[in-house]
Amino acid sequence: MSDERISPIEALPAASRAYGTIDVRSEHPRWGMAVDLERCVGCWSCAVSCKSENAVPLGMWWNRILTDGPALDTPATDEHGRHDLHWVPLACQHCDDAPCQKVCPTSATWTNDEGLVLVNQDDCIGCRYCMAACPYGVRVFNWGDAEYPVPEGTGMVATRPVGSVEKCTMCVHRLAEDQVPSCVWSCPAQARVFGDLNAPESRLVQLLGSRNAEVLLEEKGTHPKVSYLQPRRRRPIQVTAEEASS
Amino acid sequence: MTTIDPTAVAITAPGRPKVWTIWITVLAAGLLVGFGSFIYQWSQGLGVTGLSNTITWGLYIVAFMFLVGISAGGLIVVAGAELVGTHRFEHLNRLAVVCSVAAVATAAGTILPDLGRPQRAWKMLVQPHLTSPLVWDMAVLGVYLAIGLIDLWILTRTPVPAKALRVMAIVSLPVAVLVHSVTAWIFGLLVARPFWNTPLLAPLFISSALVSGTSLVVVTAYITERVTPFRVGDQAYAGLRRLLLWFVAADVFLLFTEVMTTYVSGEPDHRNQLDILLTGRLAPVFWSEVGLGVALPVLMLLSRRGRRSTTLAIAGVLLVLGVFAKRINILFAAEFQPLVGLAPGIPGGRPGQQFRPDEIYLPSWVEIGVLIGMTSFFLTIVTLGVQRAVLPHHDADT
Repeated sequence: MSDERISPIEALPAASRAYGTIDVRSEHPRWGMAVDLERCVGCWSCAVSCKSENAVPLGMWWNRILTDGPALDTPATDEHGRHDLHWVPLACQHCDDAPCQKVCPTSATWTNDEGLVLVNQDDCIGCRYCMAACPYGVRVFNWGDAEYPVPEGTGMVATRPVGSVEKCTMCVHRLAEDQVPSCVWSCPAQARVFGDLNAPESRLVQLLGSRNAEVLLEEKGTHPKVSYLQPRRRRPIQVTAEEASS
Repeated sequence: MTTIDPTAVAITAPGRPKVWTIWITVLAAGLLVGFGSFIYQWSQGLGVTGLSNTITWGLYIVAFMFLVGISAGGLIVVAGAELVGTHRFEHLNRLAVVCSVAAVATAAGTILPDLGRPQRAWKMLVQPHLTSPLVWDMAVLGVYLAIGLIDLWILTRTPVPAKALRVMAIVSLPVAVLVHSVTAWIFGLLVARPFWNTPLLAPLFISSALVSGTSLVVVTAYITERVTPFRVGDQAYAGLRRLLLWFVAADVFLLFTEVMTTYVSGEPDHRNQLDILLTGRLAPVFWSEVGLGVALPVLMLLSRRGRRSTTLAIAGVLLVLGVFAKRINILFAAEFQPLVGLAPGIPGGRPGQQFRPDEIYLPSWVEIGVLIGMTSFFLTIVTLGVQRAVLPHHDADT
C-alpha cells in the first residue's frame, strides 16, 4: 500500500520542490525550527498537512494553532477591543532537556543523533507518564481503534497501535531526502523556517540571530529547539476619542 | 484465654458460617466484575474510560496513590513499636502486616489496568530507564512487598524470633520512607505540573500515609474483633488513638504550610492550580476533605466518647475517606489546568471529539468496575491473611 502512495511534494514541479528543500546541512545536524509570528495568519494549513503527512487519526492533532482569545474563532483582542491576530502554532518543541524522555520507564521516548525527540512505539507501554510530564501538552494517546479519513492513513509513515503515545516527529522520514517537514513546506505565509542549528550559515540560525526569538515556557528549563520570532512592528493604532474615553 | 486449636479456627473462622459464605460470595463477585471490566477495557482500548488527552491519569492513579499510602499502617505498628520499644501493639502485628501486604500488592496491580498496553508491561523489567521515577517506584514497591512477606513469615513462627523482627524493623523503616517519597516524586519531579512540583509533596505523602495507614489498622482490627475471637484491647485502642491524633496534626500542618506559602507568594501557575481547590471546581471535594475527613474525626477522637472503639473506628473510616479525597485533589488540581492553556486547547483524542481547553473528568463504569475488582482483591488478601495468619496465632499473644 505505502509503495503506491507518494508524498504530495514529490508530485510537484522541480521549481516548487526547491522551496521544500533543506538549505544547508552541517556534518552533525541538529534540527530546529522557527515560527515567525509576524507572518502566521492562523490558517491551520500546517496542522492539516501534518495530519495527512503523518496519518494522524481523526480526533488527534500533532500540530495545532492556539490563540490567546476565548475560543478558536475568536482570537485575542487588544486593549481597544480590536482583534490582535496573534497565533501560537504548537507542536512538539523537541526540547534539548526533554521532561518526557526523562520519565519514560522503558526509554520508548528517545532523542536521535540529530536532536529530534522521537517515540519508539514498539517499546511504549502506554503509561502516559510523558503526557503528564510534557509542559506543552503536545502528546496524544491512541485511546481506541484509529479512524482515518482514508483507509489506513496516507501511507507515508506507519500508523501507531492502540494504547501508545504519539507526537510530532519533525517529519523525520522526510529529512533523509533533504525535504523540510510538511508543516514548513505547506505554510502559505512562509511563517515556518526549518534548518540546522549547527550550521551558522543556515537561514534558521541567521533569523534567530537577527530577530527577537523566544521559546515557550523558557523558565521551565526544557531548552526547546522550536523558537517563536516575535513581531517587529504592529499596525499603528489610531485611537479615536470615543475609544480612549471608554 | 482458652486455647484455640489452629486447624479448627482455620476451618470454622470467622465463626459464623452464613456470614462467611455471603462474604466470600461478595468478594468473588467483585473480583469477577473487576476482571471482566479489565478484559473489556483491554480489548477496546482506554477510550472506554473517562480519560482524555488533558486528563491522562484518573481513578486508577488516585487508587494507586491511596493504596501505597494505606500500606504504611503495618510498618508503624510493627517496626515503629519495635524501635521505640513498646509492646502494646504486639498482638496487632500480624493483622497490621497483612493490611500492608494487601495494600502494596493491590497498588502494584492497579498499574496494570492504567497501561494502554498491559501486554508490554514486561518491557519495564527488561529495559528499565533509570531516570524514570516510575522505575524507582517499581523497584522500591517490590522490595517493600518482599519485606512485608518476610515480616509475615517471621511473625507466624513459634516462638517469634525477636532478633529477626528487630533487624527487619531497622531495614523496613527507611524503605517505607522511600516508598512514600518515591510515589510522591512520580508527581513531584514534573516541571509541567506546578501544583505537584513542590518539595513538600514527599513529606505530605508520608504524613497522609501515616494517617490512612493507621486508620486502616484501626478499622480492620475493629471489624475483625466484631466477627472473630480476635481481641484488640483498650490499651491498644488508646495507643492507636493517640498516634492518629499526632499523625493528623502533622498532616494538617504540612497541608497548611503548603497552602499558605502558595496562596500568599506562590508563582501564578501554582497559585491558579491551588485556586481550583480553594474556590474552583474541586472546592466541594477539598472542603469536604477538610471538614468531614479531618475536622469531624478529630473532634470525635477528642470528644468524651473518643476512647470508645466504635467512635475510633468511625473516625478511622472518615480519615481514610479524607485521605482518598486528598489524593483526588492532588491529582486533578494539576491536570485540570495545563500550563499552555490557550484556546482551543488539547485535542480530545477520539473521532468527533472537540478540543478541550477546560476539561472535566468523570470515571466511566468500566473504571468503577475495575475499582470494585481492586477493592475485592484487597479485601480477599486481608480476609485470607486474617484467617490463615492472624487467627491461628492470636492466642499465643494473649
